[in-house]
Amino acid sequence: MDEYALGVLTNVGLLSFLALSAYLLLVAGEMSFGQQAFFGVGAYAAGIGTAMWGLPLPVAVLFAMALGAAAAWLVGWPTLRLHGLYFAMATLAAAEMFRILFELVHYQRAIDGDLVGPDGTQGFRGIRWVLEQGIEQETFLAAVWALLLIVLAAFAVVERTRLGATLRMVGEDPELAAVFGVNVARVKLGVAAAAGALAALGGALYAHHNTYVEPRNFDIMLGVHSLAYALIGGLGTALGPLLGVALDIGLLESTRVFQGYRMIVFGGLVALLLIVRPRGLLDEVAVSRVAAALRRRPTA
Amino acid sequence: MVVDLLQNTLDGLMLGAAYALLALGFTLIFGVLRRANLAYGPAIMIGAYAATWVHLQFHAGFLVIALVTIAAAMAAGAYVEQLCFAPHARRSRGAGDAGAVAAMVGSFALWMQLEEAATLWLPKHLYSFPPLYDGPPIVLGPVTVRVEYLAMLACAVLAYLGLRQLLTRTRFGLAVRAVVDQADAARLAGINVPRIFMLVFAVASALGGLAGYLIVATHGQVTPMLGMWSTLKGMIAMMLGGLGSLPGAVVGGLALGLIESHSQWLFGPQYRDLIAYLILFALLAVQPSGLWAMLRRSPAPAAP
Repeated sequence: MDEYALGVLTNVGLLSFLALSAYLLLVAGEMSFGQQAFFGVGAYAAGIGTAMWGLPLPVAVLFAMALGAAAAWLVGWPTLRLHGLYFAMATLAAAEMFRILFELVHYQRAIDGDLVGPDGTQGFRGIRWVLEQGIEQETFLAAVWALLLIVLAAFAVVERTRLGATLRMVGEDPELAAVFGVNVARVKLGVAAAAGALAALGGALYAHHNTYVEPRNFDIMLGVHSLAYALIGGLGTALGPLLGVALDIGLLESTRVFQGYRMIVFGGLVALLLIVRPRGLLDEVAVSRVAAALRRRPTA
Repeated sequence: MVVDLLQNTLDGLMLGAAYALLALGFTLIFGVLRRANLAYGPAIMIGAYAATWVHLQFHAGFLVIALVTIAAAMAAGAYVEQLCFAPHARRSRGAGDAGAVAAMVGSFALWMQLEEAATLWLPKHLYSFPPLYDGPPIVLGPVTVRVEYLAMLACAVLAYLGLRQLLTRTRFGLAVRAVVDQADAARLAGINVPRIFMLVFAVASALGGLAGYLIVATHGQVTPMLGMWSTLKGMIAMMLGGLGSLPGAVVGGLALGLIESHSQWLFGPQYRDLIAYLILFALLAVQPSGLWAMLRRSPAPAAP
């Protein structure tokens, strides 16, 4: 596989974690402008884990996910009763605080004669675990997509359980859900923490793919993009966010036909698409139609 | 020390006037449509870029430049309204409001589009912009005040008073308030609701254009950061003051200016933004209805 295709496929996979994180909150009825913060927490935590503490990547990723969930829980707890634009702005404020904190962190250590670690606005260089272990880019790509498939499988399982129905109910009508005995606050806090862990997983892998991260990577643009990916892909299935990422990164950025005009094309397309399908391409109606069609032809 | 405090307070109020102007247009759109327009700042950016182009081509006077800024911002605003807000206006407004999310994400998509269009049009990273006033600042004893900032403050006050008059003393304002209260009832009473939305958007965009002109003329330069900056500052000021409230927008803008100028002086620029976001986050967690509601000591309503 050539270098370029590898890079594109890996980026689609990495951003899909962030888009899924935004999707999870959207399904539960909340719009976050701040998932990029947990992507950043994951990137920094995993980078520190492998490059500075000498942890193997899987352990560092787990550490990053735990930290991402904890950070999301911390942001979610005081903002739980907020909704709509209030919640979106609170998450934006929190995410910008995280970004500025990344700018203020100076935690470096000399490893093999090089200073490694977060250096404020200078960023965090030398997250080289993947190179040092002699892991091929193809292998890393396969690992990213394998993890993504596991996450998708988890989504598919949850959608079929009581918990999945509860999530959609909370998203559709929180008052009704409360009447049915659902602890809406607890569900939303759980969703926020899970979405934080998911974003951190993506961030941890992103840091190890790029070997370098800087605070600017985790600004509001990244967060709102992931929200847009989730929405244009569709809120009916967890495949929606992947479709959203694939449309932008895979189709528009990579084909280079629209170079220089990519945002003009993409922006216009998204605005027009949302007029026709306000809940995305693969919305609930589309998904249930496909499911019904599959049920009618069980051999298919 | 006392002089510094006084000077910072003055600077903060003047900076806050710019934020207040941005927040007024923002809050007008949210108050009437119940939708956030993320492309508000980029529309202002289109205005500023059009004015820069006119300035480069014709060296026009400041009045022409100001009018071009406002007109281009209104044109861009109308485009955003037609593509992102008019189509979603009829969708449900209750909980799980699909229209609100779609409109907001749509306006974000157009943000990207407008920003790229502006930078393709004028690709340099920085353009100088004709200043509003060339003379020295006014010296009042130990403190100084820039004339442009006084103009900004005056415009913010006039814009607020003008909007209040418009909304409370005219038939148009009555129609707007009827739509805000009960859009369906207003339609039954013969009010053309989509037209009201369009006009509200036009007024808000004109305010944004005015704010953009004053800000750019005060800084003396235009950069591609203007769009994002305007959207962010306008939204933060609006949320600080209280979503959808006109006096809240003014209070929120001035408060943001004061917070920024004092924390910058005390702790430096990185901490300035950190503290502004921290205060916004804390306020949303404790009192989401904003500073204006707090000032009026009304009991805090639950966040919608």
